[in-house]
Amino acid sequence: MSTTPDVKTREEAHWAQPVSKLKVSDVPAGAINLNVEGRQVVGPLQGFGQLWQKTYRVRLSGSKAAPTDVIKTWKENFPKFWPAGNKFYAPLTGIKPGEVAVLNLSMPGGMPLSTGMLVLYADDESFTLMTPQGHMESGWITFSAYEEDGAAVAQVQSIARANDPMYEIGFMLFAHKVQEDFWHHTLRSLAAHFGVEGQVQMFKTCVDSRWQWSQVKNIWHNAAIRTALGMPGQLVGNIFRRQKDGG
Amino acid sequence: MADNHFEAKVRRQSGAVVIDLIGEINSFAEEALNGAYAEGNSGKPESILLNFSRVDYINSTGIALIVGLLAQARKSGRRLLTCGLSDHYVEIFKITRLSDFMSMYADEVSALGGVKSET
Repeated sequence: MSTTPDVKTREEAHWAQPVSKLKVSDVPAGAINLNVEGRQVVGPLQGFGQLWQKTYRVRLSGSKAAPTDVIKTWKENFPKFWPAGNKFYAPLTGIKPGEVAVLNLSMPGGMPLSTGMLVLYADDESFTLMTPQGHMESGWITFSAYEEDGAAVAQVQSIARANDPMYEIGFMLFAHKVQEDFWHHTLRSLAAHFGVEGQVQMFKTCVDSRWQWSQVKNIWHNAAIRTALGMPGQLVGNIFRRQKDGG
Repeated sequence: MADNHFEAKVRRQSGAVVIDLIGEINSFAEEALNGAYAEGNSGKPESILLNFSRVDYINSTGIALIVGLLAQARKSGRRLLTCGLSDHYVEIFKITRLSDFMSMYADEVSALGGVKSET
């Protein structure tokens, strides 16, 4: 009977507890906190568009960093490796299971998009973020590291589909490339942090090419539309809060 | 450190294909899991039952592998069922919304009973 508590501890330590609706605990100053509070998380089966699995890898040749070092650094500096203009407001407690992060992304044309992510899973060698309703994609993305032939390999693997028809059109026109460039940049930046000029490899598979017409209604939560509509109110609210805080 | 011990065994039982999953489902399980699914699916059964009763641990990569199987099953019109998940993983299947698309049973007998009653 001695192994049961250990197994339970490992499961409870690494997986998020059940959540019916997301709750943002701390919102850093300057963050646009829209489209997260009260949203449900959605998996790769709930969205509208084609289901894609994309894997990006960079080998940290020449670095002595172990996979656990890579993941520790990645968790602690997650948004620093992103392309400029995109912000990930991690919870104060860091990337831990069950925590909710706010994302402010810069869409093509400079349009802002506010959404969030739930930390679904985290251990010493990987962590997984899951999207809420209204996010561009429905699914999750896993960041991991492993050792191969004496060097650490950092990996990003997403399994997701566009959340609604508007996003799907965006993906077909330009967003796949934007997304792939985003994660290439991230992995190159991560490799550079370890002193490596990384060559990123990408593999992608369309797991399900069908559109799920039953999910057309997801457009109601579309975070791009709601951010555009909600931004003026959010900015006015921020000004009043600053004035109040300032005395 | 991830454990690479994983086995998937295929058998036919009461009109369904049962895949017994044994060990830890993580990235090391991909080949064995997909191979077992392909073997089970080759006979074009109406239902495929994933038996998790001997699974020690599933990480998020393992859950992604299950999503892949579910996508394949939906594409080919198969029902994918599960049995033997611990309470913890029943919750995980609910969080990840896999439970929206897979019937979950406590054990193999009740799962196969469910298959019979729906055929």
